[in-house]
Amino acid sequence: MDDLIVSMEHVYKSFPGVKALDDVHFELRSGEVMALLGENGAGKSTLVKILSGVYARDSGHMEIFGREQGDLTPKQAQELGVAIIHQELNMCRHLSVAENMFLGREKTRLGTLSNREMEAEASTILRDLKIDLDPRKVVGELPVSKQQMVEIAKALSTNARVLIMDEPTSSLTSREIEDLFRIIRELKNKGCGIVYISHRLEELQYIVDRVTIMRDGQFIASMNYQDTTMDEIISLMVGREIREQFPRVSCKKGKSVFEVKHLNAGHLVRDVGFQLHEGEIVGFAGLMGAGRTETTRAIFGVDPKTSGEINLDGRTVKIHKVADAIRAGIVLAPEDRKKDGLCTKLSIRHNIALPNLDTLCDKAGIVRRARETRMCEHAVNSLMIKTPSVDMDVATLSGGNQQKVVVAKWLARNSRVVMFDEPTRGIDVAAKVEIYHLMNKLKQQGIAVMFVSSEMSEIMGIADRIIVMCDGRITGEMTAAQATQEKILTLATRFDKKVATANE
Amino acid sequence: MQTKRLSPLRRFIAIRGMASAMIAFAALIVIYIVFGLREPNVFSTANILNLLRSMSKYLIIGIGQSYLLITGNIDLSLGSVVGMSAMISATLMTHGVNPLIAAFIALLCCLVIGLINGLLVGKAQLPPFIATLGTMFTARGIGYMINGNRNTDAIASGIGKEASDKFQNFFYYGKTMGLYNTFLVAVAVFIVFFFLLSKTRTGRHIYAIGSNVDAAKLSGVSVFATTTKAYMVSAFCAFVVGLILCAQAGMGNMEAGNMYEMYAVAAGVVGGISPLGGTGLLLGTFAGAAVWQTLENGLNMIGAQVGLQRIVIGVIVVFAVLLDVVVRRGSRKRIK
Repeated sequence: MDDLIVSMEHVYKSFPGVKALDDVHFELRSGEVMALLGENGAGKSTLVKILSGVYARDSGHMEIFGREQGDLTPKQAQELGVAIIHQELNMCRHLSVAENMFLGREKTRLGTLSNREMEAEASTILRDLKIDLDPRKVVGELPVSKQQMVEIAKALSTNARVLIMDEPTSSLTSREIEDLFRIIRELKNKGCGIVYISHRLEELQYIVDRVTIMRDGQFIASMNYQDTTMDEIISLMVGREIREQFPRVSCKKGKSVFEVKHLNAGHLVRDVGFQLHEGEIVGFAGLMGAGRTETTRAIFGVDPKTSGEINLDGRTVKIHKVADAIRAGIVLAPEDRKKDGLCTKLSIRHNIALPNLDTLCDKAGIVRRARETRMCEHAVNSLMIKTPSVDMDVATLSGGNQQKVVVAKWLARNSRVVMFDEPTRGIDVAAKVEIYHLMNKLKQQGIAVMFVSSEMSEIMGIADRIIVMCDGRITGEMTAAQATQEKILTLATRFDKKVATANE
Repeated sequence: MQTKRLSPLRRFIAIRGMASAMIAFAALIVIYIVFGLREPNVFSTANILNLLRSMSKYLIIGIGQSYLLITGNIDLSLGSVVGMSAMISATLMTHGVNPLIAAFIALLCCLVIGLINGLLVGKAQLPPFIATLGTMFTARGIGYMINGNRNTDAIASGIGKEASDKFQNFFYYGKTMGLYNTFLVAVAVFIVFFFLLSKTRTGRHIYAIGSNVDAAKLSGVSVFATTTKAYMVSAFCAFVVGLILCAQAGMGNMEAGNMYEMYAVAAGVVGGISPLGGTGLLLGTFAGAAVWQTLENGLNMIGAQVGLQRIVIGVIVVFAVLLDVVVRRGSRKRIK
């Protein structure tokens, strides 16, 4: 049971402006669990997307089951036996377990569905995996863990022998994780190869045979899990020299401006409390799904809070809706600019003016055009947004310039606290530096800056103080001088001991 | 870096939705001339005045529906509210109520329907199609009950011939400066709502929630308040058209305003109001209503059967949306 089932060599892939994969190697043997590790943006997802036929590689070899493969489509990859189980499950919630498992390849007899046959087969597969589940149950009524098992069973029913699991434990409880691990071992015994992507390094010991480590789109190392240590893995994951430029300005740290106490909102914001001072940028580090975005949204009044107190300049402010936060002088430049940041069908003018209409309108609610033009042109000029006119649609701008518009929306007013959520994602280095300059300018003006980023290097380069979150909780805090990537990563993976009982 | 000010003409074209509106105006001129060549009476002053009067109803309801389309919603109750307005005001007038008071009461009733639509869609987050389907049946049902399940008597029977003539002249038969009053009423409604949509805070919010409701929320826009305002505008427009229909018939017809919600969608869409929300100009709705009426008028004048009229109109609506989708897809590709 030691034959090579996947072998990728010298794989290259680039997207406009980014080298996503740079001469990457990857091997998977049958009957093994291979952990694919790396920071956010290391190229893990790109690699598995090439393997599962979502992306085509620019160059390089890929062999699956010993046969050289050209560019695959997702369907071809599936037929070859490569299945991917996504972090967000892809299921039709209103259909039954069996219906989901046979979706798109329903068994028919004389043109009508033969449900009994499908249910019987689904039942066999589930029993094989020792999953106790009625194939007639509606998927939407099952807990997430069971849905995930249905997804795995579905993959097996297509005779998948390469299973890619992307963060499979992120939404499971410890009991459920145990179940999942048992099934993974079951799959190993059947000779499947499993690619296991997870940020939860402490889980690896229970199931993983080998690890492959990537960083910045490059292959770093591949080795037996037994022959390595956690420290070595972490240092290989983060051990990059910082190439980008981080302009840092120092200014005196002033009084506390903003304080959040015991904030709770949903399961990703749990008892969060922190302070922001004048003249400092506070970085929020953590892995994806650590609850940082949720924290900013709860503060800003987008999502409801279950409890907590917010103080601004020593006074408690009540924030029930976004307008309350804006009025108080607390603003948020959100993470996903296409989804939350911009009205892409509207002009730069309309976008920048939107949150500032209260200051731009006269008493009758009529927009003062001259004042608006002045505000927008000032914003465009001071942020160096490259456009012929403020009346251009924002959709015509490049990503970096769009991001600047998102920021510009909030700089036209006198805010006390500005929260930036991943302000540099997906934009080029030059534009990043301009965003850093901007945050520095705010800092010098005495505005409290909260800077959420998943890129450790920029957080360490720009923030004066770093707060690390994991699983909805603040797990640690340090000054920029104390910070090391290892320290941050350790704190960022300090999950509640979910797997303590999974040890057998 | 200094941003350049574009020349006025280029700024004009760059306004989103302006291109579609201009295309609709061009189509209007072509259609008008084609019919005119077949039937010279199309160009007669009498016909032009008639045309302007007939298109007024489509223009006003088109404005109402455009407000909803721009927010990414729809108002199916529009036609029923038109009917309700006509029936309530007519019934009151047959009972001798002063036309002003009758109209005021009808207005309040219409605005209540608008408010309910706003609550259902903006607050309870029902799909607008379903919510306004419900109010569509309800509003017409209320009209029927007030009418006593029949058409009303002539309004003159209650308020007297003089008052009735005055009312009917004001909304339908009378002329001011050579134009039918109906058209002037429509122009007044157009100017008010054009101003509201393009120059005020509310107008900006309406475009914003239609373009990206999440981004609008994160900019502090109240989706509920904005949606409700849009439904109130549409209810107001329906109210005005109801009065026009009442004046035209001189009574409250049970089927007044039937299907108008769909004519309104057609007028907006032909004029480049995207049914997906976020884009479109009332100028386009103006052109759309005119195209619609010119087609109806022209096909009538050349003696085409009613069936053919409907087919032509149906094809043109689909073609207009198809054009919108194709243009959108094209521009998306360019951006990516």
